[in-house]
Amino acid sequence: MAEVKVFGYCNTLSVKPGDEMTFHVHADGTNRAEARLVRLIHGDEHPSGPGFVEELVPSDLDGTWDVKKQYTQVGNYLTVDDPEGKLALDGSFTLCAYIYPTLPGEGVRQSIIGRWDVFNICGFGLSIGPEGVLNFGFGDGKDNDYLNAEVPLLKNTWYFVAVTYDAKTRQATLYQEGVVNRYNSLWGKVVPIDYRSHVREKMRFKPNNKADIPFLIGGARDFHEVRGHFVTQTFSGKIDRPAVFNRALTRAEVDQIKDTATPINDSVVAYWDTTAGYTDRGIGDEVVDIGPNQLHAMGFNRPVRAQTGHNWSGRNDSFRLAPQEYGGIEFHSDAMMDCRWDVAKTFTVPNIRSGCYAVRLRAGKGHGLAEEYIPFFVRPTKPKAKIAFLFPTASYLAYANEHLSLDAQMAQPIAGQPPIVTETDIELYQTPDYGLSTYDHHNDDAGVCYTSSRRPILNMRPKSRLASMGITWQFAADLSITGWLENCGYDFEVLTDEDLHRDRLEALKPYNLVISGSHPEYYSEEMLDATEDFMAQGGRYIYMGGNGYYWNVAFRDGEPHIMETRKLDSGMRAWNARPGEHYLCTTGMKGGLWKNLGRPPQKSMGVGFISQGFESARPYRRMPDSWHRRANWMFKGIEGEIFGDFGLAHEGAAGIEIDRYDLNLGTPPHTLIVASSGGHSDNYMLVSEETLYTFPGMTGTYDYRIRADVTYFTTPNNGACLSTGSIAFGQALPYNNFKNNVSQFLKNVVDAFSKSGKLPGWAWTAEEKQWR
Amino acid sequence: MTSTWKDPLVAFDPEKDPPPDVVTNDWLSPATVWDETKSFKTPMHTVGRLRYYRKWPGHGSDLWTRMRWWPTRRRVLDISSAYNPRTLKIQKTIDDKRPIWWVLGFVIMALVPLFIPESRQNGLLTAGAIFGLYAAINVVWMLVIGTAGIFSLATYAVVGAGAYGSVYAAMQLGLPWYVMPFIGALIGLIFGIVIALPATRLDGFYYSLLTLGVVELCRVYVLQSKQLGNAAGGLYGGPSYIPEHWDKHSQLLLGYYACGVLVILALILYRFVNGKQLGRVLRMAPEKREAFAEATGVNYRAARIKVFIISSIALGFIGGFYATHFKGASPNLFTFDTMLLGLAMLVIGGIGRAEGAVVGTLIVVFIDRVLLDLGPLRLILIGLIMLGVVLFLRNGLFGIKDQFRAWRDKKKSESRATRAEKGGEMLPEEAAETRNKDVIYFRRFDKMQRDFLKRLITPEIIEEHRKKPLGQHSEALERVLTYFRRAPQTEKYAITVIKPFEAYRIVALSGTRGVAPRLVEDRIYKTPDEVYHALFMRRVQDLMET
Repeated sequence: MAEVKVFGYCNTLSVKPGDEMTFHVHADGTNRAEARLVRLIHGDEHPSGPGFVEELVPSDLDGTWDVKKQYTQVGNYLTVDDPEGKLALDGSFTLCAYIYPTLPGEGVRQSIIGRWDVFNICGFGLSIGPEGVLNFGFGDGKDNDYLNAEVPLLKNTWYFVAVTYDAKTRQATLYQEGVVNRYNSLWGKVVPIDYRSHVREKMRFKPNNKADIPFLIGGARDFHEVRGHFVTQTFSGKIDRPAVFNRALTRAEVDQIKDTATPINDSVVAYWDTTAGYTDRGIGDEVVDIGPNQLHAMGFNRPVRAQTGHNWSGRNDSFRLAPQEYGGIEFHSDAMMDCRWDVAKTFTVPNIRSGCYAVRLRAGKGHGLAEEYIPFFVRPTKPKAKIAFLFPTASYLAYANEHLSLDAQMAQPIAGQPPIVTETDIELYQTPDYGLSTYDHHNDDAGVCYTSSRRPILNMRPKSRLASMGITWQFAADLSITGWLENCGYDFEVLTDEDLHRDRLEALKPYNLVISGSHPEYYSEEMLDATEDFMAQGGRYIYMGGNGYYWNVAFRDGEPHIMETRKLDSGMRAWNARPGEHYLCTTGMKGGLWKNLGRPPQKSMGVGFISQGFESARPYRRMPDSWHRRANWMFKGIEGEIFGDFGLAHEGAAGIEIDRYDLNLGTPPHTLIVASSGGHSDNYMLVSEETLYTFPGMTGTYDYRIRADVTYFTTPNNGACLSTGSIAFGQALPYNNFKNNVSQFLKNVVDAFSKSGKLPGWAWTAEEKQWR
Repeated sequence: MTSTWKDPLVAFDPEKDPPPDVVTNDWLSPATVWDETKSFKTPMHTVGRLRYYRKWPGHGSDLWTRMRWWPTRRRVLDISSAYNPRTLKIQKTIDDKRPIWWVLGFVIMALVPLFIPESRQNGLLTAGAIFGLYAAINVVWMLVIGTAGIFSLATYAVVGAGAYGSVYAAMQLGLPWYVMPFIGALIGLIFGIVIALPATRLDGFYYSLLTLGVVELCRVYVLQSKQLGNAAGGLYGGPSYIPEHWDKHSQLLLGYYACGVLVILALILYRFVNGKQLGRVLRMAPEKREAFAEATGVNYRAARIKVFIISSIALGFIGGFYATHFKGASPNLFTFDTMLLGLAMLVIGGIGRAEGAVVGTLIVVFIDRVLLDLGPLRLILIGLIMLGVVLFLRNGLFGIKDQFRAWRDKKKSESRATRAEKGGEMLPEEAAETRNKDVIYFRRFDKMQRDFLKRLITPEIIEEHRKKPLGQHSEALERVLTYFRRAPQTEKYAITVIKPFEAYRIVALSGTRGVAPRLVEDRIYKTPDEVYHALFMRRVQDLMET
């Protein structure tokens, strides 16, 4: 009997009463699971807090669900809809493409282009063999025949490859030429290497083109008796301008295609111009065929576009300047954007209060991997409350299913501790089916730039703890903030980044006060604009975290479940985009830090990222400005100067990732620092975007800049912003069952911010004329 | 040897009582080990090998048209090209030189008669023909023993049955010579089916005994049978493919070349059985791993029987040919010494290879039929060779190359193990085999680092860690911890949670995505701090042991 495991996701994270949503569940070792709808109240099991708290909400979802084993198609490839079988060439043909392999010779075959049926040994295709050698193979349904190139393809090198097959003579000829220039590949001119290979053989028989084999770029069809048809032999690397011709082209003609990047017109069946279709605002998944048949191709699991092509000259750094140099479509054999599982349950959201809910599924022993929570967020039909909590779902997506503790050597030095891994972390490590986070690398070492919510996100679960740091992170940590709101009896509603991105200012406008999550790190331009507009129009905002408003990310209209990010040049980052690949293909904007785009977080929030250390946290101490009457109301009922010397995240309210006030980065000039932390350990190091030269003393015990600032400033129309400057702040709230001085401080602010009208201390604005 | 360390963060807690100073080590310069190390501890030998033969370069932009053995997809020569990592030049290697050796061997055998002195023609050509016959039989036998893994000793019995049967039939029915091999094949088929049946039940040694019995049965039958001649002479008088009216020399030459063709036919059969699906299926089910193969769906029994029956048909065919060659058959075919000589041929050449069968036959036949002057000493010589092969070689003459390489590798590892320091710097020999030269430096750095850190491990810093596993530490402890944390992922210790805040265990990471961490001990720790310290102690222990 297999170990019982249950995993699931829902098609949308944000719903309103009356909306229909679907749940998709995969189960191992069982075919039924007990479901309950619950409202999540507190998610951190740390003994210093109230522990995990949920509330059962009776609904149609409750009961026994039929669940089953489901299969996930992993890997990128392009499909071509070819109903007339134009690509099923029975006679002679030529297949060609520019390729940039990133994982050749690792023992697995990778299809480049063709109609190849692995299970039935049928069709034909050009591929990279398990030993990393270019290979043309075909089958007649019983046996296969193949031809290999002479020398292996080298990693991270641009080639033009082709095969010409002459049906009359049964001769197949492979063509392999390096197209390396000074910029585009790993090596340059000084390396004495010959990339070329031209091999010809007479084949034994002719390929059999069964009608139902799909034409694929970057994959081949396979079959499994339970799973049915699926795609295997997926490609890792870039493919640029693949093409099909209906005769065996001559060497001179193939040379011409290679040199000019244009098709031979009299015999072209399809020529996918991967550079066609770029706009100033990016490009989609469709790859345009400029041949006579218009057989446009479609990307699966979102291959990465806007990547440099074989002819990238180094002069242009964006597809917006030179689309013809951006023909590279990047494929990864472990990319996964949508599990596409069958629906286990369809649900119409009843009229329930706004909040964070989840379907709790239990099977078998009912805990560990046999218990699953599928969270979703219910917004009000019509906003009524004064306070909204904004769940930073974009940042949840960025961290979705991260593998850092098991995969990344630097995880332990960064975190300053050994990781505490759970069964869930190990499960994620063992299967590629649940996809990667933007903190991971693909198996070819390329950074992951797309992430999706249409999959079980096993670290977006209550009780989940971040393995490398031994604390709750993101979703489970944010429940400490909503748990506090609940405990204080505030009437509040919830929002998600998805809503903010789509509805922009409209999403925030109904509220007096919007409270952020503990780590709202990933922001699209739409989200950031709306947040600024909200504050400018008189909205009050509490930035209740650290390292927020940091990365520029993008969503396609109507596809809120997939997010793109590009990490580059500076910032605390898990990977670096290649040169020339710094622009978001979703919007055409440059990726990277908002700071590098002219919008440091200080500009809108007063503070911005300065340091991180994950093994300790510190209290805050009041700053002299907090005695000014503009701000001293925040400290009503707080004894002494120190507050937050406790918490569920390493026993301090200031820590994990921390932010600082900086006038040079746009902190509004009238901002007050009301409290600051200090005495951070040397594991707190200066962030890389603040570093020009490195020198000794860029750590917590040496550098005064390494601290969390609580800042306060007013915005037009009675608006205001309070920033706590620390991720650990939210995790200090539940300490001693929410009765503590951090809680008191926040209560003072929330009470004031949620009331309409003028803010406390508004009148104390004259210059000081004091005797002391 | 101890001093005290003041936590620089103490001042940030003015409201609390200052904690006592931490007892830690005296400061030791991290450059200590670097300054102390001036040379390698073991002698460094120059490495590098001169290429004294030519390697063909790659074809570059020229078209390379490759030929195949029609009608297979096998290339005429199995050539692979690779970049020489020292020069990055393409160089071609013939991965399988056997086709060349075979062709050379056959050309020499074909030309040999031209160079034999007149006086020795008779003896040598007769021996050559016998070599051909035996080689063909042994190649087919190799299919039974090597490919199918059935230890049948009835091979010569099948040949004998084919020979006797076909010559008897030819004499009774007056058939021409060219029918005889096919009659032999038919008899081989029947014989094969009969002896294949017990092979489904008996294994290894027991089956060998059974086949031995079959051979003896045949011998006794032939000796006692009136129809098949009498005890001494055998059954003679059948038709022959060698024209009677030719002169003696031409007859011998024809016999010699005909037997040569027979060898080629046997080799083709070997190639098609051993090198195609049947052979591949059987290679997936080697001896002692049959159960595993069967569990994964490999029907090795059916494949074995198929190979056995195909071989038996071929052996019968050879028997029929034998009979037309000698115009009859003799009971010699069933004798124990024939079988033993045959076995000697296989063993000397090496089981599982066609070339082993042929060269083994050549050696034995040469000693037995050419060195006639030695008298009975010949057999002792053959016995000695066989003894030598069994004692010193793992798989006959053709296993020598692999055996030599394995032996050289063993010597190499021994030499390196005695010279190199464990976890220490690389020897030039190892460096030459390391693609990424950065790794060579990492080994040096890591060795220095560990030798230095070992001197920092004291009861004081262990106690400091126990009191406070996370957070700011004294310089000595922080150095040790930073080294531990930066270690590569493979076999790096981590913690696994059984129940949050109640039960933890120590694991070691795999470093390979897809492979779960390995449990290193059963002990359960109750708090994170406890398990952090236990993990630290394991790391300390590992450090001190290297």
